[in-house]
Amino acid sequence: MGETALILSEVFLDVIGYWWVIIPTIFLGLIVGGIPGFSAANTIIILMPLTLAMDLQMGLVFMVTLYCAARMGAGIPAILVNIPGTAGAAATPLDGYPMAKQGKGQQALAISFVASSVGGLLTTIIALATMPILARVGFYMHSVEMIVVMLFGISLIASIAAQDMLKGLIAGFFGLMIGAIGTDVVYATPRGTFGFLELYDGVPLIPALVGLFAVSEAFIIIEKKVIIREDAEPKNPNWHDTFEGVRIAVSRWWHIGWTSLIGLVIGVIPGAGASIASFVAYQQSRTFSKTPEKYGTGHAEGLIAPESANNGVTSGTLVPLLVLGIPGGATAAIMLVVMQFHGVSFGPSLFESQPKIGYGMFMAMAVAYFLMILTILPLSRYMSHVTTIPTIYLAPLIISFTLVGGFVPREYMFDMYLALGFGVIGYIARRTGYHVAAILIGVILGPLLETYFLRALKKSDGDITTLFSSTIGNILWVALVISLVLPIFFDWRRKKRNGPEIVVQ
Amino acid sequence: MTKTVFNRRGFLKGSVAITGATLAMPSIARASSYPERNINVVIPTREGGGADRNFRAFSSIWKTKLGVDFEPGFFPGASGRVGYEVYMGKNDPDAYNLIFGNMGPEVLNWAMQAPSFNIDDYFYFGRVDTDPCALFVGAESNLQTMDDIIAEGKKRKLNVGTSRMAHPASIGLLSLGEVTGAQFNLIPLSGGKNTVAGAVTGEVDFSVLTSGSVIAAGDAVKTLLVFGENRVGDALDNAPSMNSVYGTDLPEMLSSRAFGIHKKAADDHPDRFETLTRTFKETFEDPALLEAYVAARGTPEYLNYGGVEDCAAFKAAMLELGAKYKALLSGA
Amino acid sequence: MAQDPSEKPRQLGGEMVIPILAIVFTLYYFSTIWNSPWTAQVSAFLIGGILLGLCSLFVLRCVVWVNAGKGSFGFSNLVNMDDIRTGRIGLFIATVLFCVLIEPLGFTLTTFLFLLSSMAVLSKFRNLGLITGIAALISLIGWAVFILAFDTRFPRGWFEMTMEAMLQNG
Repeated sequence: MGETALILSEVFLDVIGYWWVIIPTIFLGLIVGGIPGFSAANTIIILMPLTLAMDLQMGLVFMVTLYCAARMGAGIPAILVNIPGTAGAAATPLDGYPMAKQGKGQQALAISFVASSVGGLLTTIIALATMPILARVGFYMHSVEMIVVMLFGISLIASIAAQDMLKGLIAGFFGLMIGAIGTDVVYATPRGTFGFLELYDGVPLIPALVGLFAVSEAFIIIEKKVIIREDAEPKNPNWHDTFEGVRIAVSRWWHIGWTSLIGLVIGVIPGAGASIASFVAYQQSRTFSKTPEKYGTGHAEGLIAPESANNGVTSGTLVPLLVLGIPGGATAAIMLVVMQFHGVSFGPSLFESQPKIGYGMFMAMAVAYFLMILTILPLSRYMSHVTTIPTIYLAPLIISFTLVGGFVPREYMFDMYLALGFGVIGYIARRTGYHVAAILIGVILGPLLETYFLRALKKSDGDITTLFSSTIGNILWVALVISLVLPIFFDWRRKKRNGPEIVVQ
Repeated sequence: MTKTVFNRRGFLKGSVAITGATLAMPSIARASSYPERNINVVIPTREGGGADRNFRAFSSIWKTKLGVDFEPGFFPGASGRVGYEVYMGKNDPDAYNLIFGNMGPEVLNWAMQAPSFNIDDYFYFGRVDTDPCALFVGAESNLQTMDDIIAEGKKRKLNVGTSRMAHPASIGLLSLGEVTGAQFNLIPLSGGKNTVAGAVTGEVDFSVLTSGSVIAAGDAVKTLLVFGENRVGDALDNAPSMNSVYGTDLPEMLSSRAFGIHKKAADDHPDRFETLTRTFKETFEDPALLEAYVAARGTPEYLNYGGVEDCAAFKAAMLELGAKYKALLSGA
Repeated sequence: MAQDPSEKPRQLGGEMVIPILAIVFTLYYFSTIWNSPWTAQVSAFLIGGILLGLCSLFVLRCVVWVNAGKGSFGFSNLVNMDDIRTGRIGLFIATVLFCVLIEPLGFTLTTFLFLLSSMAVLSKFRNLGLITGIAALISLIGWAVFILAFDTRFPRGWFEMTMEAMLQNG
C-alpha cells in the first residue's frame, strides 16, 4: 500500500510538471470536441506523427487530456446552438438547449463544466481505487445483459413521448427503423440501403445527429431575431450567472455522483459507449426525479445527468485497456496503438511491469479535469454570447458548420446530402409536433440493440428464451420493469396527495 | 455516389479512355518518363488502422525507388467494398492510381456478393505481407489446450468469435470443425478489437482472428493454433500450425496486404507496369524496408514478397474457398 | 421544441407526413429483406410491424378527428406564406445549392457563396458589406482549417488550386 502511495505521489508530480502540455491541449480538445465530426480519436490520428514523436509520458498526458477536453467541448455547441458534436453529447441538448433559449446559456455551460469535471474527476478516482473489481464488469455483461441496458436507454422514447404517446412512439419507432438500415451484423446482408454502399455500415451517426438536431433547428430559429426567447429576462452579461451555475451544480453533487457512476460502469464494458451511457443516465435521472415533468424544458438535472455520465465513460474506458489490454472505445484503441509503438504491452501484467504508466494515465486524467475546470469556467461568460448573435447570421453559420461536420468523419460527399436529408426530416418533425430526440434515440441505440440481440440469438441458435437465461440479466430485467412502473406510481401518488391540481408546464 | 453512379461514371470514363487511347497512341510510346507525378493509392480501410501503418512503412522505402511519393486516400466502409468501388469506378486506369487492399477478407467479399465491377478487371501485383490467422482463448478460459476445445466441442456446440463471417479465419475454423468433428457456431463480433474482447470476457468460448491483432493483445489471450505457419514463435505462444497437427492440407488462411492495379492500366501501359513491379521488387531487396517495419512496430517476420502469379493464385484460392463455404458464411 | 398541439383546428395533413414517410420506408425496407436469412429479418419485422401498426392507428385517428370536425387535412403548419416572408424557402434553396455546387466549385468558394446568399436573403439584402465581410472571413477560416491544416477531402476548386499554386511558388 505504501509503495502504491509512493508511486502515486511520484506520478502526480510528473504529470503536474506537464502543465504546459495540458493547458494548450485543453483548448485544442475543446475546439475539436466542439466541431461536429472531429472527435478526440480522429484528432489523435491526424496528429499521430506529433504524438509518436513525443516521449511516452508526454504522449500519454497529451492523449488523455485531449480525450477529456474533447468530451467536454462537445457539450458547448450542444447547449448553445443545439449541435451535439458527438453521439456522446446527443442527450445534452435535451435540457441544455432549452436553457440557452431561456437566456441561461452561461449558467448551463457552467453547470455542464462542473458536472463534467466533477463527474470525470470522481469516476477517475473511483476507477483508480477499484480497478481490479471494475475490470470484471465486462466478464458479466455479455450480449443478453447488454440488451436490457439498451432497453433502459430506448425506454426514454416513451418518457419523451408523454405529451402525445402515439406520435412519440411513431417518432421513436421510425428512428429505430432508420437505425436498422445497413447490413445485418451476422451475415452482412444489405438491408434498406437504397443501393448506397455508404449505408452498408449503417446510418453514419454524425450526419444524422447534426441533421436532425441542428439543420432543422436552423430553419426554425430564423423566425426570431436571436436564439434567446423574447420572454427571457434581459440582463447585462456578468459573472453572476457562472457562479449561479456552479452553485446549482455543486448543490446537486449527489446527482453528479450517481449519474457519473452509471457512465463509469457502462464505460468499462468493451463496445458500449458514451451515447448509451448518457441516455441511460438521463432516463434514470428522470425516473427517480421528484419533478419528471420538468425534464426537457431546461431542467438542471437533465443537463447534469448526460454530461457527468459521458465523462464517467471516459474514465471507464481506460479500465479494460489497462487491466485487460482491451480498449473500451475508439479513443482507447488509438491510445493502445500509440502505447504499443513505445513498446508498452498492455494487459494483466502492466501494473507489475510498468506501474507508472498505468497509474500515470489515471493521474493525467485527474489532473486534466482539475486544470480544465479552472481554465474553462471563466470562458463560459464569453461563449454564451453565441446565443445573442442575430439568427440571420447564425442560421447560415449553423447550417454550413454542420453540413461540413457531417462530411468530416468519413469524408464522403454522400454524408453531406445525408445530413441535409435528416435536416428535412427533422424540420418536418418539428413543425408537425414529432419529437426529433425520439427519432434520434432510435437511430443511435437501435443498431446497438440489434447487434446484441442478434448476437444473443445466434449464440443460442435462435432460442428466444436465452434473453432470460442469465441471473444478472434477469435482475436487470426486473430493474427495467421497476424503472418503467415507478414513474407511473410516483405520478399517481403525487396526484393523490396534491388533489386535482393541474400541473403547470 | 450510388452504385449506379459508380457504374455510369465507370462507363463514361471507360468509353472516354477507349476513344482517348486510340487518339493518343503516340503518348504511350513516349511514356518512358513515368512516373512524372505522385501515385494515388486507395486504401479501403480507415486511417490509423493496420493497413495505414503497413502502407506508410512500405511506401517510405518504395518511393525512394520510384522517385515520386505515394498519396493515400482512405475509403472505409462496407468491409472494403466502398474503396474498391471508388477505385474501379472513379479512378483513371493510368498506372497513377493503385489500390492497397487485403487479399484475404476483401476477396472473400466477392464470393459472398459480387461487386458492381468485374473482379477480373483489377489484379494484385505486389504482395507485401502474409499474416496467418490464429485460434486463441482468453487467459482465464476453461479451455486451455486444443484437446480441451475438441473434447468440449464434441459435447456441445462451442461459440466462436470472429471479426466477421466472410473472413479467412472463419474458413480456417470451419475446416477445423470438418476435420475433428467438433461443433462450432461462428459469432461475428464486428472487428478485431471486439473479437479479442469476446474471448477475454467469456462472451464466446474462444475466437479466431488474424495473428497480428492476437499478438497485439499480449498476455490477455493465449494462442493455441495457427491456420498457417507460426513465423513468430513465442509471440503466438509457440502454437503449432493446423496442417502439422491435424494432417490437413489447407492453404494458409491469411490476411495478406497487396498492391493492386486496374487490368486496363497494365495492358495499356506495359512500360509503366514494368516500372512498378520492378521497383516494388527492389523495395524488398533493400534492408531499409526491414528497418522501416521495425520502426513502425510492424511484425517484420510477416513481410513476404509475392509477385503477380502468387497474388493471382491466392485470389483464386480465396474465391474457391468462399464459394465452397458460401452457405455457411452468408446464411444464403 | 414541439409546436403547440392546442392550435386549432389541427392541421392533420401536415401531421400525417411523418407517418406516411414511415409507412413507405418500412414497406421498402421489407421488400429488401424478403428473401434474406432470418438474422436480417427478425428485428426489422418486429420493429417495422409495430411501426406500421402505430402509423395505421394514427391515420385512423386523423380520419376520426376530421369527421368530428376537430381538425382538417391542411398543411399550413408545415408550409405557409410565412416561409417565403421569413426567407426560409430562400435559405433552403441556398442549402441545397451548397451541397450541389461544392463539387464543381470547391469548398471555399461555395461556402462563401452560400453564406453570402443565405445571409443576404434572410436580412432582406441589408448590410451587404458586413455580410460579404463575414462570409469571406468564415470561408477563409474554413479553408485554413479544413484544407490547409487538416487536408480533408473536401472538393478542391478554383480557389483551392490557386492558393496551392501560390503557396508552392513562395
